[in-house]
Amino acid sequence: MNPQILSLEGVSQIYTSRGANGWRRVDVRAVDGVDLDIREGETLAIVGESGSGKSTLAKMLLMLNHPTMGQVTYRGSTLKTLGQEERSRYRRQVQAVFQDPASSLNPRMTVEETLGHVANRHNIVAKAEVRSFLAAQLAAVGLDPPEHYLGRYPHQLSGGQQQRIAIARAIMLKPKIIIADEPLSSLDVSVQSQILQLLSDLRRTTNVGFVIISHDLGAMQSIADRTAVMYKGRVVEIGEAIYRSPIHPYTRLLLDARLLPNPRGTRIRSPAPRSVAPAASLATEGGCRFLQRCPHAIEVCAAVDPQLRPMGVGATHVACHRAEELSAAPTPM
Amino acid sequence: MTVSQSHMPGAAEHLLDVRNLKVHFQVSDRTVRAVDGVDFHVKPAECVGVVGESGSGKSTLVRAISRLMPNLRVSELSGDLRFEGHDILGMSERDLRALRRSHGFSMIFQDPLGYLNPTHRVGRQIAEALTFHGKGRSDSQRVHSLLEEVGFSDPKSIAHGFPHELSGGMRQRVMIAIALASDPKLLFADEPTTALDATVQLQVLQTLYRIHKERNMAVVIITHDLGVVAELCDRVYVMQTGKVVETAGTVDLFERPKHSYSARLIELSAHRINFRSAGL
Repeated sequence: MNPQILSLEGVSQIYTSRGANGWRRVDVRAVDGVDLDIREGETLAIVGESGSGKSTLAKMLLMLNHPTMGQVTYRGSTLKTLGQEERSRYRRQVQAVFQDPASSLNPRMTVEETLGHVANRHNIVAKAEVRSFLAAQLAAVGLDPPEHYLGRYPHQLSGGQQQRIAIARAIMLKPKIIIADEPLSSLDVSVQSQILQLLSDLRRTTNVGFVIISHDLGAMQSIADRTAVMYKGRVVEIGEAIYRSPIHPYTRLLLDARLLPNPRGTRIRSPAPRSVAPAASLATEGGCRFLQRCPHAIEVCAAVDPQLRPMGVGATHVACHRAEELSAAPTPM
Repeated sequence: MTVSQSHMPGAAEHLLDVRNLKVHFQVSDRTVRAVDGVDFHVKPAECVGVVGESGSGKSTLVRAISRLMPNLRVSELSGDLRFEGHDILGMSERDLRALRRSHGFSMIFQDPLGYLNPTHRVGRQIAEALTFHGKGRSDSQRVHSLLEEVGFSDPKSIAHGFPHELSGGMRQRVMIAIALASDPKLLFADEPTTALDATVQLQVLQTLYRIHKERNMAVVIITHDLGVVAELCDRVYVMQTGKVVETAGTVDLFERPKHSYSARLIELSAHRINFRSAGL
């Protein structure tokens, strides 16, 4: 097993906002006590619905935000206490790719300017060799012939090509980890599979690790070594086999909600409940935060907040009081 | 039924009949053929899917049909569009409005927040869509029953609230309620669940399906997600670069795709190619 490179210990991010009606200040725990180890060279997927805190987690890994509580450590040193030089090195070794490539590239800079700016800023190559260096980077992300793309502006490229430029910008610094926040969701399916292919090729050739934030479990299944499922700011299940043998009821719910291209499927056509319950209150004082949606809840779930614990087989950890019983039950898929 | 048969007299049984629709845009000195000679029809109470990737012309197709086109940049808009035999392209704004206001067609969109007025209460916005046929029950009673129909168990408090107080899935339900207010025979849904979480998407689609069945209302759903089409639609049109490349019953399309593009789309969304098992 590779050594761990990034680790989160009891990390929380609390945002303060005004309540829905009134002036009372309300604390929103976007991330609420997450422990997570990221190993060198691994691809870790973080999945969950909107509001689960996955993007907030990415921001903390990118040092765009510091956790309100807990700490993020990179190779043994806490991010918050890094000196200027170490901080700059961290920023080089941990790179980002975002959801919407069009808005993460400067519309007034050509590809050469965008990438050249980064190369010069970090002094990674002699001035005279910048152009040939950039050409090699473009070839590495599958933009061939590179000369064809260097002089172009982002709007002259397709979404998939733009995302390749964003990836080139990240990998040219030879990072240890790339944090990608929803890198696929603004792309068409055929382009998504090309980008997934590119990420998996890069992993093989450069040994870079990925933390990929996504709501698309299907895409993550094809690329992730490990997957963490987040719900309301917590990791509720993490492991290598969550797609084949999910344990947490929320993981099962997510997998079950996927619509596969099966014309004989009956999930939509099954008689729908006549009405949906109003959004459950967020208050789950003391108990499990999945309680209101859980079909398996028992008394203890309302009283005790379940902690992430190992499941014995494999590397799976689950935060559920009934994990043992549920893992013995047949999976819904 | 195949497209060629729609040219026969039997076409009168179609709720919507579109022949050789062309929509071209003028973009600087270039002509973009967004929709380029499309034949399309919808039978009463049928659920039809239109799938394709971005730029395939699927949204332009239904916008042209519902005459929601920005006239400014359209360099060509031609074809034969008939809704219950009425010529849509030649129709006056007044007649068109009547068609949208009662027993004609309605539309819902991907981003409900963009189509709801943030300063008006939800109930008022639904009532607005009712205005032209206020007979029998009061507006508020009808608003409440619409909200109940789209799945709200407490219609009163929803009607009294503002759009920002609702979640994404609830807003889309409100949009559906507004669309249903005119008692349409045909509902166009343009990527109705793309912005929603998977679990919420499933609930909204179940609701849409139930309403489609209960009201015997035809639905045209535009999506890039073949999973949605597979489970919801009776018939599918596959579009690529402004043309329909294949049309078939849903089961036929998914189990025996004829066009290579359809086959590829289905394969991609089915397994997302597992790279590691491919020996990498």
